[in-house]
Amino acid sequence: MKTPIRILTALALGLGLASAQAEQATLKVCSAENEMPYSNKDGEGFENKLAQYIAQQMGRKLEIVAWTDPRYFIRDYVDKGLCDVVMGVDHGDPRLYTTVPYYRSGYVFVSREKDGLDLKNWDSETLKKAQRIAFVPGTPAETMLRSIGRYNDMFNYQHELTGFKSKRNQYVKYENDKLVNEVASGKAEVAVLWGPAAARYVKSASTPLTMTVIPDNNKRSDGEKVGFHYSTAIGVRKGEVALLEQLNKLIRDKRDEIAELLEAEGIPLLDEPETALSMN
Amino acid sequence: MQQQDLRGLRRTAALVAGGVLAMSQPAQANKELEQLSKQNTNWVMQTKDYGSTHFSEMIDINANNVKNLKVAWSFSTGVLNGHEGGPLVVDGIMYVHTPYPNNVFALDLNNPDKIFWQFKPKQNPAARAVACCDVVNRGLAYAPAGKDYPATIFLNQLDGHIVALNAKTGEVLWKMENSDIAMGSTLTMAPFVVKDKVIVGSAGAELGVRGYATAYNIKDGKQAWRVYATGPDEDLKLSKDFNSANPHYGQFGLGQKTWEGDAWKIGGGTNWGWYAYDSDLEMLYYGSGNPAPWNETMRPGDNKWTMTIWGRDVNTGEAKFGYQKTPHDEWDYAGVNYMGLSEQMVNGKKTKLLTHPDRNGLVYTLNRENGDLVNAFKIDDTVNWVKKVDLQTGLPIRDPEYSTHMDHQATGICPSAMGYHNQGIESYDPNKQLFFMGTNHICMDWEPFMLPYRAGQFFVGATLNMYPGPKGTLGQVKAMNSVTGKMEWEVQEKFAVWGGTTATAGDLVFYGTLDGYIKARHSKTGEELWKFKLPSGVIGHPITYKHNNKQYVAIYYGVGGWPGVGLVFDLADPTAGLGAVGAFKELAHFTQMGGGVMVFSL
Repeated sequence: MKTPIRILTALALGLGLASAQAEQATLKVCSAENEMPYSNKDGEGFENKLAQYIAQQMGRKLEIVAWTDPRYFIRDYVDKGLCDVVMGVDHGDPRLYTTVPYYRSGYVFVSREKDGLDLKNWDSETLKKAQRIAFVPGTPAETMLRSIGRYNDMFNYQHELTGFKSKRNQYVKYENDKLVNEVASGKAEVAVLWGPAAARYVKSASTPLTMTVIPDNNKRSDGEKVGFHYSTAIGVRKGEVALLEQLNKLIRDKRDEIAELLEAEGIPLLDEPETALSMN
Repeated sequence: MQQQDLRGLRRTAALVAGGVLAMSQPAQANKELEQLSKQNTNWVMQTKDYGSTHFSEMIDINANNVKNLKVAWSFSTGVLNGHEGGPLVVDGIMYVHTPYPNNVFALDLNNPDKIFWQFKPKQNPAARAVACCDVVNRGLAYAPAGKDYPATIFLNQLDGHIVALNAKTGEVLWKMENSDIAMGSTLTMAPFVVKDKVIVGSAGAELGVRGYATAYNIKDGKQAWRVYATGPDEDLKLSKDFNSANPHYGQFGLGQKTWEGDAWKIGGGTNWGWYAYDSDLEMLYYGSGNPAPWNETMRPGDNKWTMTIWGRDVNTGEAKFGYQKTPHDEWDYAGVNYMGLSEQMVNGKKTKLLTHPDRNGLVYTLNRENGDLVNAFKIDDTVNWVKKVDLQTGLPIRDPEYSTHMDHQATGICPSAMGYHNQGIESYDPNKQLFFMGTNHICMDWEPFMLPYRAGQFFVGATLNMYPGPKGTLGQVKAMNSVTGKMEWEVQEKFAVWGGTTATAGDLVFYGTLDGYIKARHSKTGEELWKFKLPSGVIGHPITYKHNNKQYVAIYYGVGGWPGVGLVFDLADPTAGLGAVGAFKELAHFTQMGGGVMVFSL
């Protein structure tokens, strides 16, 4: 445990960015009280494990600051200094400093193996005919469902998935395990989910399921690109340059170990585009 | 002759005092109901009568003696949630309903101590989760006996079923599914009996339910007609001369053309409010509600025929006219509320009118024969989303400052999403030619958000904060001339007057308050003449009836509904309950839950 501290301190000093923050004994991570499979109170999420690993590598004590509403946790927690770091944000999220990406993944179609559906992309016939497609509103899946003319057909089902809770004035959570189970139980033919959010439930499903990574070549009806592949980074509160640099180094040094952790979860990992790597 | 027929058919009907009773065939059954509605001994429908006057000719209780009104008896329903609507009184029996679980009690007015019969339906408890704003029910309906059915009580259950009960025994005659809770559709409104049909609407617009109204045959529950608020003309059931008197309202093809693609399929426009009926014209009047989804950017266009006042032929369901009050709604001003019929002088001519105080803060008065817009004015001068209604075009002239676009944060929008007038049934005194209106005085801030999460996911929505309007309180009561728009008097109420009013020829107007008062005011001046604090707050309406030659006033207590949603579900976040919790946070200091009926007499 002593070695990493010495290294990190030396690094910070070497960069001339030493601050109280860098020498702090704790790593304050904001994470969800219950947003599985990312994190929960009991530390069962893959981002919980990642946070533990990162803190350990930094030689810091991990302090979890739990939030419940993902809409406002940056504004109400990170920006207010309640924590320094969040484990999973889109690389380049303008609300924070973001580290170099530590993985890249994609949205997936989840279906039952035995159905042998032809699900390569959004042009697939299956999607035109499916009775039920489980998806999370506000994701690129919604945009493409609109584009292929199936959004209205799924509007009611979309509300059913959350017990018809109004989205006005409250956060309505779409449970990733529920959406995967809709497919496993045969209620829906297809679920469209962010691969990392679906992975562990696909793995543990009672019915064998398959995940197909959706290719990243989709366009809205007006021609604008709709991204289905995203690079995930650690988010650091703006201004915390030293911490950002430490984390960047750690991610670069421990890329294989981190990948191992994500692979254990079953997350489909994609190659990082060259441009994204060179940005940091 | 008709009376002869009646006596042959059903001896008990002869006991009904006065009136010419006609019911030799089911199609005329409504004539008997209409007669019953005019008798002081009865209160046979939620709206009191087909014109929804909520006005009684009785003068036994009047402005001089109302101060002596005392509790005569009371009855606890054993249900805690909000009690909307009111009891019915027919032939010496009071029929009391409750919110979910939608129990029904029949009480013999000769011996109200003992429950005459009771009906406790078994229904899917999942319905509770689907209901947006407490698990209210707006009341029962009654149909006198016909050739092939006994006197019947109709109950709409929260789980979407309409149930016909034998009025004498409480036995189930039939049960039909009108709304599927698995589709987000519940049933909270009161059924409405016309001719040999019972008419039922739908709820759940926000969840993409495509609104419809359905007529069922009283005798067996078979569907007679169903009409939609959006979609193809044949689904809307437009008559050949639809809006021919006012083509500028729009005529054909618009249920699809005013939507992008096939968005009309999830377009909302449900109706869960009140109906009115003109038995001479044989026309049914009601309002369709808000379009879906609520986020207006997702549904470009006028979104016809949501937010529309409909005039339909009750025999076929065919629409004679439709007037859309709020094209492309941005505020959730669901236009399903009170339709009050009156006959008043317009330009020197006695005219059949329909007056509708809308959630959007405007009072519309139409010629109910052809849909002509006679007048449209603000119910309160603090209404600001609209400058005025152009009576030539029928269109509201909006103030963009109070729009709710996703790129625009609007503050101080009046009225709030709860409307300046929500579900209360109002009263009309034909002698004074005044409508008495219990209103909300609530405004709101609308803060849209589009917040990134991860993997390109955004949370899209809006936060509504509601609070008392510029006059400082949450409610008002007003006496209004609907033709001139003049307010004869108005008084402030600390909380919204949610349940509506009842007026009498004794110069009185009665209503209940959210904090639990039943009040009587002088209908000429608004002066408070009497009040009594009930065990819980009121969201229903008072009724009055005569029994053994004595006038009674009855009202439900039981706070809840949308304004009481914070109390019912113990919510603390001011933006919870679609923003109602903040507005009514004071309420918990004044009253708590608990339902029942309280009956008063001199």
